[in-house]
Amino acid sequence: MKLNKLMTAVAIATLSTTVLTANAASNYADFPITVKDYAGDKKSSISYGGQIARHVLHTSLMKLSKTGNGAANPELLAQMQAYFSGKETGRAILSPASQEGFTIAQTNVDELSKGKNLAGKTYKGAVAGWPGNKTGVEVLEFLIEKAASSDAGFDYINGMDYPQLISKFAMGAIFYNQAVDNYLDEKLAADVKPNDKPYKDGAPYTGKEHVWDEAFGYFGAPINAAGLDANEAYSIAKGKKEIFAKADLNANGKIDLDTEMLYAHAYYAAGADKAGKSNYLNEITQAFVDGRQIITDAKGEKLSDDQRSQLLAKADFIKTNWELVIAEAAFKYAGSVYSDALKLQAGVEENTDVKADFKKYIHHWGELKGFSMALQTGGKDLGEFSVKLNRLIGFSPVLLGNTQVTGLDDKGNYVQSSSISLNEFALHMLKVQKALADRYPLKARLNDQSEKLAALAEKLGSGKSTEND
Amino acid sequence: MDSFFQQYWSDLTSLFSNSQQRLYWGYLVCAIIIAALYSLKKQPKQLKASISNALGLPHWLSRSARADYQLIIINKAIYLLCNPILIGKLSIATLIFELMHQWLGQRPVESDIPSWIIISAFTAFIFIFDDFARFYTHKLMHQIPWLWEFHKTHHSATTLTPLTVLRTHPVEGLLFAIRSAFVQGISIGVFVFLFADKVDLYTVLKVNVLVFIFNVAGANLRHSHISIRYYRAIENIFISPAQHHIHHSTAPRHFNKNYGAILAIWDKCFNCHCYSEDKPLSFGLSKNQNGNEQSLQKLYLAAFVNSYKIIKAQLGGCPRKD
Ligand SMILES: [Zn+2]
Repeated sequence: MKLNKLMTAVAIATLSTTVLTANAASNYADFPITVKDYAGDKKSSISYGGQIARHVLHTSLMKLSKTGNGAANPELLAQMQAYFSGKETGRAILSPASQEGFTIAQTNVDELSKGKNLAGKTYKGAVAGWPGNKTGVEVLEFLIEKAASSDAGFDYINGMDYPQLISKFAMGAIFYNQAVDNYLDEKLAADVKPNDKPYKDGAPYTGKEHVWDEAFGYFGAPINAAGLDANEAYSIAKGKKEIFAKADLNANGKIDLDTEMLYAHAYYAAGADKAGKSNYLNEITQAFVDGRQIITDAKGEKLSDDQRSQLLAKADFIKTNWELVIAEAAFKYAGSVYSDALKLQAGVEENTDVKADFKKYIHHWGELKGFSMALQTGGKDLGEFSVKLNRLIGFSPVLLGNTQVTGLDDKGNYVQSSSISLNEFALHMLKVQKALADRYPLKARLNDQSEKLAALAEKLGSGKSTEND
Repeated sequence: MDSFFQQYWSDLTSLFSNSQQRLYWGYLVCAIIIAALYSLKKQPKQLKASISNALGLPHWLSRSARADYQLIIINKAIYLLCNPILIGKLSIATLIFELMHQWLGQRPVESDIPSWIIISAFTAFIFIFDDFARFYTHKLMHQIPWLWEFHKTHHSATTLTPLTVLRTHPVEGLLFAIRSAFVQGISIGVFVFLFADKVDLYTVLKVNVLVFIFNVAGANLRHSHISIRYYRAIENIFISPAQHHIHHSTAPRHFNKNYGAILAIWDKCFNCHCYSEDKPLSFGLSKNQNGNEQSLQKLYLAAFVNSYKIIKAQLGGCPRKD
């Protein structure tokens, strides 16, 4: 009888632990103030408003980049520059904006943080994937200038979709670069921004707390993203009213852009996870929550060696998986460009109207190009892998006359040269997918063009190869 | 090292537990049932004798059969070590898939052909292509002198049991693996290029359905003491166990006949087809058995020595012209 009771107790204990572990996902919220002798009236030590301000500067800039009328447009250019490099107050949040049944709390960038811009935080290294030997900042300035005089974001002569190029590259050159090459890298060193001092005088957070918050802010996830379903996360970013009640975490009837919205790579993490093969959004966010807990547990003292190595392990996990999210997106769009190029070639040969197909093709190429350049802004030298990637993808897609952009002239105009066929370019896309899959342990592998080859090879087995007849 | 032995053991046991293998226990049971029924037909109302004849226990203990077992056990280790250096079918499939883009200039993007037709076509194509490749390499193994030295290891069997299917010189085994990689790689590459995601294989127990039928229909009797014969009309299309026994016969008039694995049509095409006969046969390289023919040294090393001599003689026979 006693034994029975004991067994029941053990069973219940096991069961409840399992339930607890299953619900381990917690919010990036409610971390108390640990700074010694803090005298202010703040209750929370969390702060990453500057990063969210940059997210909405980015989304607003992308929105503007789609509004060109096909001619030189100094007004639009000035407006875009204000979002990229300006610091003035009064800039409206153009996106995300309220939709029917999906009200957004903030309408002005200043409500999130004042005096922020993107240019100041953009990758300063050289960008090999773009012509003209430019730095990250210069590439974005160049793209913004071109976008201002584009036809609703497009340049059909050179095969450019500027909103995609700007947005996908900026996410890497700003958010990813800042987080993985700065905040989760040198700023985690013991003697930089120590945990036993406030980040700056009078701040309610320690050096390390704020460094970690800023990295989390750049990832672009809502505070509950560790436990958020990928499809729901996607709906939130799209502003779907069905998800509003669930997205409005504090039930104030509005979506707060700093805690309840999805941006940048957090959104693309959800995009990969929707296929059900990966779990980037939850896992990366959980690592951020865990890392923040390690810092909070130090209670305003310097991190011990043990705490610091635990924190660095979380940072490594985040960096690795963040890179995978970008690689997954590049992989997916290489697959799209592959199909688009073949479809286009077929259309050209059959003499059908290919205008819509062409637009889709350069749109997907713009995504691919942007993500592939972003991949190279993480602050580590990818060596011949990036050379290979840049050569295969090119400075533009292969255009209908089998030409491709190969450089810029001294006035910054594109120079085109004769190149390979659309068909061969499609083959390049297979090689891009292969190069990415060889380098990264990708899980989602969307639009995998060689998947069927591997699946059949597996299915055929190898049993009878050694039979002798 | 531990993992090597684990892998080795699992490879060895999977010969009988994996339905992709000819020696899968289910196929062996099928073969015994068919053999017993065949014996029963020949000697009606003698069920016990028929079953015992089907099992043929004495054959399993012969000197030749014991050599089979030794070869299987040693070869498995050799294959496991050589595995990583072999080019895989996936590399070949990928290469073909990429080359098709360049050769054909255009890939058919969407086809209206129903999937069941494409899947049936792929299932049949790979079955026929693989069978032809087996026939043709087998023919070469007999006709090219230095290759015959390696194939002799298989033909030196004087009693046939289902396990004789794996009595193979490792060099021949590697050639088979390469053949298989090419057949499968080419088939996959071409079909995926043409029909993309619609390509698939009809399988039963993870095996091509056509191969499964062959296995269930007594494939293991090809190497056995039970000479099942088919009607002549059928022996024109499918190789019967008795026809394969002719391939192993020591009678000179049977030499270089019936190379086929499943289909007899290839032998028909290449004029090496021979119908089965209702006469007892003896198996092996020649009527006069050499004393040490079943020794491991002979089975493994003789082929290297002899093929070296043959190649050297051939090279020496035609002096270089500069
Ligand atoms: Zn033979």
